[in-house]
Amino acid sequence: MKSWERKQKYKINFSETSRYSLLFLGLFITVIPMLYMIISSLKDNKSTFSYPPKLFPGLDEITFQNFTYILNNENFNNYLMNTLFVAFVTVLIAAVISSLLAYTFARFIFPGKRILYGMIISVMLIPGLAMIIPQFEMAVKFNLVNNLWGVILFYSAWVTPFTTFLLRGYIEDNIPRELDEAIYMDGGSIFTVYRYVMVPMASPAIAAVSILNFLFPFEELGWSQTILKSDEIRTLPVAITMFFQAHNRTDWGYVFAMASLSMVPVIIFYLVLQKYFISGLSSGSIKG
Amino acid sequence: MSKYKIVGFISIILILVTSVLTGCSSNSSKEVSSNELVTIEFWHNYDAGSGQVDILDKLINEFETENKDIKVKHVYLEWEALKNNVVTGAATGSLPDVLRGDIAFVPQFQSLNVLEEMGALSDYIDVASEVLEAPNSTAKMGDKYYAIAANTNTKILFYNKSILKKTTAQVPKTLDEVWDTAQKVSDSKTIGMVEPWTGIWNVGPYIWSEGGDVLAPDYSTADGYINSPVAVKVIQKLADLYKEKALAGPSMDPGAVGDSDGWASGLYALQLDGPWREKSNIEAGVDYGAIPLPAGSKGSISVLGGEDFMMFKTSDDAHKKAAWKFIKFMTGKHAQVEMAKVGQMPVNKEALTDSEAIKAIPLLPVFSEALQTAKARPVTPKWSEMENIIATKVAEAITGKKEVQKALDEAAAEIDKLIKESN
Amino acid sequence: MISIAGKKTIRKINWRVYILLIPGLLFVSIFTFYPIAKMLIMSFFNWKIGYQQVSDFVGLDNYKNVLTDPIARKAMVNTLVYAVVTVPLQIVFGLLIAVLINGTKRFSVTFRLGYYLPVITSWVVVALLFKYIFSNQGLLNFFLSDILHIVDGPVGWLSTRWSALFIAMLLGIWKGIGWNMIIFLAALQAVPKEYYEASSIDGLNRRQQFFYITLPSIRGTILFALVMLCIGAFNTYTPIAVLTGGNPAHETEVVLTWMYFQTFNATGKMGYSAALSMIIAATIILITIAIFISLAREEN
Repeated sequence: MKSWERKQKYKINFSETSRYSLLFLGLFITVIPMLYMIISSLKDNKSTFSYPPKLFPGLDEITFQNFTYILNNENFNNYLMNTLFVAFVTVLIAAVISSLLAYTFARFIFPGKRILYGMIISVMLIPGLAMIIPQFEMAVKFNLVNNLWGVILFYSAWVTPFTTFLLRGYIEDNIPRELDEAIYMDGGSIFTVYRYVMVPMASPAIAAVSILNFLFPFEELGWSQTILKSDEIRTLPVAITMFFQAHNRTDWGYVFAMASLSMVPVIIFYLVLQKYFISGLSSGSIKG
Repeated sequence: MSKYKIVGFISIILILVTSVLTGCSSNSSKEVSSNELVTIEFWHNYDAGSGQVDILDKLINEFETENKDIKVKHVYLEWEALKNNVVTGAATGSLPDVLRGDIAFVPQFQSLNVLEEMGALSDYIDVASEVLEAPNSTAKMGDKYYAIAANTNTKILFYNKSILKKTTAQVPKTLDEVWDTAQKVSDSKTIGMVEPWTGIWNVGPYIWSEGGDVLAPDYSTADGYINSPVAVKVIQKLADLYKEKALAGPSMDPGAVGDSDGWASGLYALQLDGPWREKSNIEAGVDYGAIPLPAGSKGSISVLGGEDFMMFKTSDDAHKKAAWKFIKFMTGKHAQVEMAKVGQMPVNKEALTDSEAIKAIPLLPVFSEALQTAKARPVTPKWSEMENIIATKVAEAITGKKEVQKALDEAAAEIDKLIKESN
Repeated sequence: MISIAGKKTIRKINWRVYILLIPGLLFVSIFTFYPIAKMLIMSFFNWKIGYQQVSDFVGLDNYKNVLTDPIARKAMVNTLVYAVVTVPLQIVFGLLIAVLINGTKRFSVTFRLGYYLPVITSWVVVALLFKYIFSNQGLLNFFLSDILHIVDGPVGWLSTRWSALFIAMLLGIWKGIGWNMIIFLAALQAVPKEYYEASSIDGLNRRQQFFYITLPSIRGTILFALVMLCIGAFNTYTPIAVLTGGNPAHETEVVLTWMYFQTFNATGKMGYSAALSMIIAATIILITIAIFISLAREEN
């Protein structure tokens, strides 16, 4: 801690208190809907229908019946495994491909570079849902319909532009060219540079952007719903939506239980990589 | 100029790779010789929650034991996903061999040119003669059959007994009394009626029962039909109810509670709805009753719903043959009775009078009565677009955004424009 | 021909660069460039998606149809309003929270996770949650009428165009704050501490520090957030689809929900949808350019 900071902290203790109270107030507002979701998932499925709504179940009314139902009956494990598989592979593919692209765009001058980079970046501007028909056509041609890879490959392609953008900035700002030069002096090739300089040095940024990429399969609905048709290969968002509509009415208790459970892996992933998140994002492209 | 050379070079590589990949996969289309095992893909939206999918599994099992050379792979898709997947699949021919979907899908899919003309099958007439005529009329476009009825339904008036009792309202006997009752029972905690949508599926029965119609009988125009005085009067009545908070529904008011959730919480008193309402009311423990739609000035005319089986042009002959066999099995008495046990109203004539089926659907007699006068929505390729127009305009009229007459005139004009374009 | 950027010496590594480049390019081309190109083509045709149907070339008709369609126009206005309201508010709140968190020594992981929770929850679920809260017989109305007795009957939060959009915007802001918080937190940590030290010697108070040091140092990040959030705003689909479904009578439609409706509910008006998405993309590109130009001018 810098001395001036400490001084200030003691001087204006009141502002520290108000800072924390503001933060906690904001936090409370932010998580209220989440809390409500979790509380509702602990209610008896029938009582989520009742009007006037019961806000808090009495202690004796708390039930894990919704969770046991989800865990036992609805292939939840299956959906979870599918989503995790898609998420991990997407993260991996996007990391490899984007780091290669980012490295070339950050370090080399070659004809057409600006145009190519511009094209890749502008992909971010087109709404993903808009391309559903041509993309589906391709998925059919490559035999990717009703196949987890159909989701993985397209997801990886969609997240690649942003990942590349982020990594390129990080490489340009944070990895000194002298390191490249040193490798070349030792007779290394650009592959050596990629393997021994770029990958290790850019890992915070890769970790940071991976958090975002990891989240994607837990979020995306339009495409996965189009392409994953049989029940055994569905991912969680599709499963939740189908489940939500399959019963003729909304089984809020089950929906909330499933939604709460599906957040767990993302939270774990976030917590594990959280410390890279800030440092990986703190420099490079985002700074502009 | 080497800059352009290299860009060109890259694009050539890309094109080459793409075409190679494309070429490879197009060769691998399914070719099955006749004596090999044929796997047919079957898309449906049988409801898993009410055990229909379990029955389907059982039926498929029986079918596969009878037909050792056929395997049926069934895929559940929610109503909208089912439709969307056919739309996306039509572009590329990636479609199932058999589909069981809403009767309203038939004209829509036919306009995509994907449906196999089932009527051309040699024994279609025999099979069709075993199912009810009215539901099967939804499979007919022009003079050709593109589907066969799978199960049928119509809408009857459900009422919440406890609400009626509490407000000392009587069960309505005429359509006018329906409106009165809806108004009478409404207060800050109760809403008289719910209509989840404002299409003809919803407002059609009221218009028909008062002697109006949607399109000219030959589908040549909507002018003078959807904007006729009768239709205007009916929609005006709904608009009045809406204004007095005696009518609600998510397409008029997105904040309205969905019909099933509203029934379950005892919010809604009346709804013209199908057999699923019986099931969900039982599950939610609602004390309800049901009668055929009380007659308007020109009788009680409800709307015909249900599902049809469809086959697709994209399948090869072996798959078509297997698919047809499967459809015949599913429209047969045994399968129809089994499905009746989990709430699907049979179309098979024998199954309709089967005691087990009646035991499973207590309201079957009420539905059968309503079915006798029920009317199908127009079976024309642009129908879903027309119904969308109507739904939008009727919603505008009911919510008071536009004068009823003006909104319906606009609907008629837009529909006529659509009819002209497609001719 | 190919050189290491910034160095004049030409190295003999040319072809190797392409080895690095090609997998990525190939991948992006197949899965994104091709569909985009195809869509551009579709936008000039009365595109028939039916089996073996022939599409007619119609020139700019699809674009004309989109631009003269009152519902499409309404959807564009709704989307623009959504962007104009949600983007700045997300940035302001995100930045505010980031500034507050940045100096904290305790609970920092709690805050980072808590504020980020909405981001990592699926759109479908949070939209359902909001619907549950704001529907006529929902939680909020229950509070207002049955517990606090402020209002008589249920308030139709989702019932009319602007109030429903307001709820959708609230959802968008609530869900987006966490992302902004993280991005700005990252940017704040990259601002050299020396700047603050120097300025506090010069006697600047905290507010002055924020405006004279923090803001200028993170202007790049603000620019980045602005562009990304604009893209996000134009990509809004799930909140509207779940909260209102575009109802009543397409009043609350945004561009993507309207495009989806045209694609699927109206029996595949593919040409129309393609033209619409091209127009959306063009709008986003124009907005991006405008942001860059106006910020560049400010800098001078």
